[in-house]
Amino acid sequence: MSAPAIRVEDFIKRYGKRVAADGLALTVQRGEIYGLVGADGAGKSSLMKSVAGVLAHDGGTVEVFGTVIDSERAAEKVKQRIGFLPQGLGLNLYPDLSIEENVDFFGRLRGVPGAKLAERKNMLLGMTRLDAFRSRPMRQLSGGMKQKLGLVCTLIHEPELVILDEPTTGVDPVSRRDFWAILGKLLEEKGITALVSTAYLDEADRFHRVSLFHEGKVMGEGTPAELIARVPGTLALFRAEPQADALPRLKAQFPQTEAMGAWLRVFAEGLDAAQARAAVDTCLAASAPADTTIHLSDWFAREPELEDVFVAMLRQRGARLNTSLPADAPAAAPTSTLAIEATGLTRVFGDFRAADAVSFAVPQGEIFGLLGANGAGKTTVIKMLTGILKPSSGAGRVAGADMRSAGLAIKERIGYMSQAFSLYHDLSVVENIRLYAGIYGLDDRRARQRSDWVIGMAGLAGFENDAAGRLPMGLRQRLALGCALVHEPRVLFLDEPTSGVDPIGRRMFWDILFHLSRREGVAILVTTHYMSEAEHCDHLALMFAGRVVADASPEAMKQALIASAGQLLELRVDRPVPAQNALRDAGFANVALHGRAVHLLSREADTDRERLPALLDKAGIAVQSVGLRPLSMEDVFVQRITALEDAGRRSP
Amino acid sequence: MNGQRIVALAWKEWREIIRDRLFFALAFVVPAMLMLLFGYGLTLDVENLPFAVVDYDKTAASRDYAYRFISSRYFAFQGYAADEHDVDALLADNKVRMVLVIPPRFDERLGRGEPAPVQVLIDGTFPERTQTSMGYVAAINSAVSLDNMAHALSRVRGIPLAEARQRVQPIKLEVRYLYNQSVKSIWSLAPKLIMLIMMLSPPFLTAVGVVREKESGSIFNIYSSTVSPGEFLLGKLAPYVAISIANAMFLWLLATWLFGAPFKGDPLFFAFATVLYVICTTGIGLVISMLVQTQVAAMIVASIVSIIPAVLYSGVLLPLPSLSPAASMLAHALPPMYYTNIVVGCFLKAVSWHALWLEVLVLAAYAVGLFGLGYLLFTKRPRS
Repeated sequence: MSAPAIRVEDFIKRYGKRVAADGLALTVQRGEIYGLVGADGAGKSSLMKSVAGVLAHDGGTVEVFGTVIDSERAAEKVKQRIGFLPQGLGLNLYPDLSIEENVDFFGRLRGVPGAKLAERKNMLLGMTRLDAFRSRPMRQLSGGMKQKLGLVCTLIHEPELVILDEPTTGVDPVSRRDFWAILGKLLEEKGITALVSTAYLDEADRFHRVSLFHEGKVMGEGTPAELIARVPGTLALFRAEPQADALPRLKAQFPQTEAMGAWLRVFAEGLDAAQARAAVDTCLAASAPADTTIHLSDWFAREPELEDVFVAMLRQRGARLNTSLPADAPAAAPTSTLAIEATGLTRVFGDFRAADAVSFAVPQGEIFGLLGANGAGKTTVIKMLTGILKPSSGAGRVAGADMRSAGLAIKERIGYMSQAFSLYHDLSVVENIRLYAGIYGLDDRRARQRSDWVIGMAGLAGFENDAAGRLPMGLRQRLALGCALVHEPRVLFLDEPTSGVDPIGRRMFWDILFHLSRREGVAILVTTHYMSEAEHCDHLALMFAGRVVADASPEAMKQALIASAGQLLELRVDRPVPAQNALRDAGFANVALHGRAVHLLSREADTDRERLPALLDKAGIAVQSVGLRPLSMEDVFVQRITALEDAGRRSP
Repeated sequence: MNGQRIVALAWKEWREIIRDRLFFALAFVVPAMLMLLFGYGLTLDVENLPFAVVDYDKTAASRDYAYRFISSRYFAFQGYAADEHDVDALLADNKVRMVLVIPPRFDERLGRGEPAPVQVLIDGTFPERTQTSMGYVAAINSAVSLDNMAHALSRVRGIPLAEARQRVQPIKLEVRYLYNQSVKSIWSLAPKLIMLIMMLSPPFLTAVGVVREKESGSIFNIYSSTVSPGEFLLGKLAPYVAISIANAMFLWLLATWLFGAPFKGDPLFFAFATVLYVICTTGIGLVISMLVQTQVAAMIVASIVSIIPAVLYSGVLLPLPSLSPAASMLAHALPPMYYTNIVVGCFLKAVSWHALWLEVLVLAAYAVGLFGLGYLLFTKRPRS
């Protein structure tokens, strides 16, 4: 029992000339939930497949339960002790088989005897609340249900080690939380070791320990708290007026400065809260020209998040965050003209209402976020607003024209970037841009001008003649954005634009969007399932089952949540699962496991901070710390949707 | 080998095939459909060839001559045309494929014993048909000539017509068509279609069925479990082999009942050889599936690898001895030719083991070889 569950040293994996993993190392102890966090193409999947014994690597040592995995024969020895869930939501399941048939197949494949199989199947399906849908074909399940079924099938032979490759990607936040709760409980009860990867940095605190992956290398390893402590500094959140003037000045001194709606978010590396405040004040005062003063208000300082630290680590290794956008371009005058206006947009497919009386308005120069799970109706709304799909009733007005009757002239004022980055992979960067310029009818001189602008904006200099398909994700994404902007549209639609892009790429992308909205007055409608990104938007509309169920600024949504459900408390405890149960028994409704910590919403945060350690002590659980945590958009989303689902269940 | 796992794999595969509409169609509808389409469409018999007559002579003799063609079942008379210019348009529009031009003084020349030329215009766009129709024309023409000669002889010598006929053609051909007495091409085509379709369908189904798992990622369920490669291949492929055997039986029924092909051979021998052939062609699909990564690639490779040998190097369209030496070598290196010998032998010639043991042996070698190759190529720990 002495050998660790997994030991990896100097792991190297190449695909042709491309190096996917370059000298990775990590050790996972038995009973640990170990996280691999990183963007697409960071090397997570290669490592996980090699550990699962389903991919041959090119160098280094992979050891599982003390067995060195260096041949098919060696891998076979440990496979019965491993459960592997490959990447891709439900892709390893069989769409034409029902839930029960899928589970049965996995059980028989793994040689689970009949009686045991029935018993475990009942237990796991009960726990995942799938038992009511046993005979439903897998293809008709929602994303969250597919994900849970995938987990059940992986666990059916009671492995000692589970390897889950991005199990939460593309799943809505409610299902994600549900998934983590079930996984945490199962792993704890059975003492299973888990190696789990995720592209969402904000999920890192679900793990006991994590490795941060970037481009085939490990950037850091440890508990989330240890990693955050590795780059000391302060995260400051404040408002500054005028924001568009403050941002470039701050960015010059603090590279990790971001605009989050009306707020600014600055990571002051190496400074404590007081020093950070002083440095920001000095920066804004010193660099301001005589005629403008920048007014700072609503200052909050706190511990940075893992993403801030990750970006800081990447910067230390030479990653750069700047684009060549002119910082001194004049700010667009604030206008009240509506760029996008949806009034009662409804689309019915058969007896399914994909969009149900959707109404919202986006003024020129605003970044508007449309949030919702897969299937909530976001894409249907975008399609109606861009004139691709006719509404069953209601109207969408874009740039002042009704989209049902809009002519080409209006459509040329719209830019659209689809989920799949609609680029031609075999064409070069310049050829892609010139193609879009041609499609929008730009003349030769303009096309050349705009092509230069796109290359500068997207940081594509030096890549002009590379095939688009060979670019890294971040560059490819910015090229797609550039192609959508080649005709200088006044309204920009972005459908899930940041899936799979690393944090540096995501930041640069949002910098560009901010510049477009503030400096050039472009109205931007963006859909995303990255809850942390929703905070970049000035305004959010939350969609659920085809309807808009909340429409406010991110800040207002959080305030509303605090008012209705309370503040977020984090308790670090020695035994999280019993602590969770004890807290539930004490009447807290929103208790969730996050690695070794427990999160809960409390209406009386101050008194609860005092009384909870004693309460848990009675249950024999030692509390190491209790602290307030800022609410995330995910908390807001989950809270709202759960309330709606409960209401729906009570009055069907 | 663990029976439970093989059954689980086969059972899962079976359910996927019958529930997926596209796969269901590929497995159960397409083979029979191909049989009907090819059976009705690929008939090589030339009959009812449309033709016209330009008769400049307009005598009893010229009408009599034309009538020999009109009454033949190989030609379909479309009418008389006034002159050659009229028939150009008819030929161009494919209204007629052959034109008989009887010049003036046809009767007169015959009467004087001079040679009487007759012009035949034949559409040469389709050489097979042209050759065949030319053969018919020549045969009818020489029959008429002989007849005329016999009549003349009988008149001059005063001998009975039958005797005159014998004198005119002292060597009389007595033709007996063996195996296919009425020389119906469908009799030989229908059995060969079983070969053709069983060469197309199993590789296609198998290759796509396996590669589908690679593409979706469900193959990782196999890689990451303790299923052995042998168990996987057996369980995964058993449904495809079973379905293909059932299809072969059904095609046999279509060939004998619908197309009326005779089946003279030993049903047991035929069934055995067919199972072997189906395993063999399933093995081709297996090897393809090990070499490609996407379903599109699997379909393209399977089509090329199966259609070309089945159509060109099997003896369906062209008899094998007429192939060039290189093509003939290729034909001998591929399984369809051997099974063609088996189906033709079983359907039409009533031969069995003693004549076809080599063919069966070759198919068996192929089946073992292909499955062995598939087994060697299958790895649960690939490099990418």
